[in-house]
Amino acid sequence: MESSGEEGVKQLVTGFEVGMINLSYLLVITFCFIAVSSFIPSMLEKGNIDILLSKPVSRTNIILAKFLGGVLLIFLSLTYMIGGVWIILSAKSGYWNFPFLYSIPWLTLSFAIIYALIILIGVTSQSTILSIIISMFLVFVICPVLYVRETVIFSLVTNSTIQFIINFFYYILPKPGDINQIITDIITGNPVKSYMPVFSSVLFMLAALSLSIFYFRRKDY
Amino acid sequence: MPVISTKDLTKEYQSKTFSKEKILALSNFSFEVQSGEIFGILGPNGAGKTTLIKILLGITFRTKGDVKVFEKDITDDSYKLKVGYLPENHRFPSYLTGEQALVFYGMLSGMSKKDVKKKADEYLQIVDMEKWRNTKIKKYSKGMLQRLGLAQALLNDPELIFLDEPTDGVDPIGRKQIRDLLMHLKGTGKTIFLNSHLLSEVELICDRVAILNKGSLVTSGTVDELTSVSDTFRFTVSETNDELMQSLLSAFKATIKNSREFTIKAVSGEELNKLIDFLRQKNVMILGVEKEKNTLESMFINLIGSQN
Repeated sequence: MESSGEEGVKQLVTGFEVGMINLSYLLVITFCFIAVSSFIPSMLEKGNIDILLSKPVSRTNIILAKFLGGVLLIFLSLTYMIGGVWIILSAKSGYWNFPFLYSIPWLTLSFAIIYALIILIGVTSQSTILSIIISMFLVFVICPVLYVRETVIFSLVTNSTIQFIINFFYYILPKPGDINQIITDIITGNPVKSYMPVFSSVLFMLAALSLSIFYFRRKDY
Repeated sequence: MPVISTKDLTKEYQSKTFSKEKILALSNFSFEVQSGEIFGILGPNGAGKTTLIKILLGITFRTKGDVKVFEKDITDDSYKLKVGYLPENHRFPSYLTGEQALVFYGMLSGMSKKDVKKKADEYLQIVDMEKWRNTKIKKYSKGMLQRLGLAQALLNDPELIFLDEPTDGVDPIGRKQIRDLLMHLKGTGKTIFLNSHLLSEVELICDRVAILNKGSLVTSGTVDELTSVSDTFRFTVSETNDELMQSLLSAFKATIKNSREFTIKAVSGEELNKLIDFLRQKNVMILGVEKEKNTLESMFINLIGSQN
């Protein structure tokens, strides 16, 4: 009896934690995107960028500092929020599910991948609104569609060329949906099927950052 | 030793994104700024003054030509450790206080936090902003922002200071204080590169001036060289009469200003002496003879007006 009670508590806590991660992913990351999307456009405003570029700091370091600063900000916010929830939940239930804490670096990584794209759009367009719209469209429209390409899209689209194109975009674009699934698997103790979405998304992040730096280093202000 | 030197500096901008059409902002611009001088750059809007400053600071890239600061090509960023810059219409993060902004920009200039704090105290006092140091920048007036910007530009004790419209929005007393500060900095051996539309101010403090128009150097020299008119003399005399006026007009081609003042373009010293003899013969008392000087403003308007 006692054993099944403990199991019930574990299931309840784990379920709550998974729900918390999904909520974090949807709400916190969205708010974070909005919060950081003005970082680059406001830095590039006339009168601000002039002073910054007159200082003995390389343009590469300016972009990297903005990136790392934004990532650190979100990491600390997530640590505070998820860490706080974990402590309260664990203390109340008596079940200390440590893998839940792994969601902090994973969610930070998810954020960092999209933030690199926000920086690229910010540097090239100098528009906060455009940064928000494109990143939201990618995260909440394009990526979910690509995530269900095999189960939904390919049953509707049988043309192999179109399927190839869809697959091509799936592999080159970031995969926040897959990463979210990996986080859920880690918390629930299920085996992770593949880390490919993480590697390809990190490659996307590095490519977006490199392009931002390349553009910023050549641009006249 | 030239602190700044450019040779055939040229800058072309694309007129629009993806357009092949070019706008020439600077054309084969060559000049030098010597150590310890206050150098003024003048020109109408769109002449290329700000582009020049931005190239010198690595904010904008040259299309071709040589640019050296402290005798090193500007591709080597290290010169920025010895440079201070106050841009026109600068913007500081509005959520910071004046002191926090100075700490932030000071540390970007390579200073330690301890040094920045010490220097911030000193310069906030100099620019008369000490009592506002803990107030958020969003509450500052234009003049206060300008004073804080000046403190920011001087914080790292730079050897070369670029000032773009430093007195913009500052009241007359504040302008005088800034002028005095610039003269004090010059006295300590600093080199100041000044861009200002207030020509009277430039005339008061600059050692040398360059005038730019449509991206090209029109003229340069000391303020005295640019404002003196070599062959025109102004006479101030005791009261004259109509007969004398007529003689002056016909025989000496004088330009009468009023009954006590006239100017004459003397082609030689002999002609000038002939006029003085003539006036003395007529028992006219000469109260003064001086070489006429233009103001920098009238010289600028004549020069640019004739080109546009």
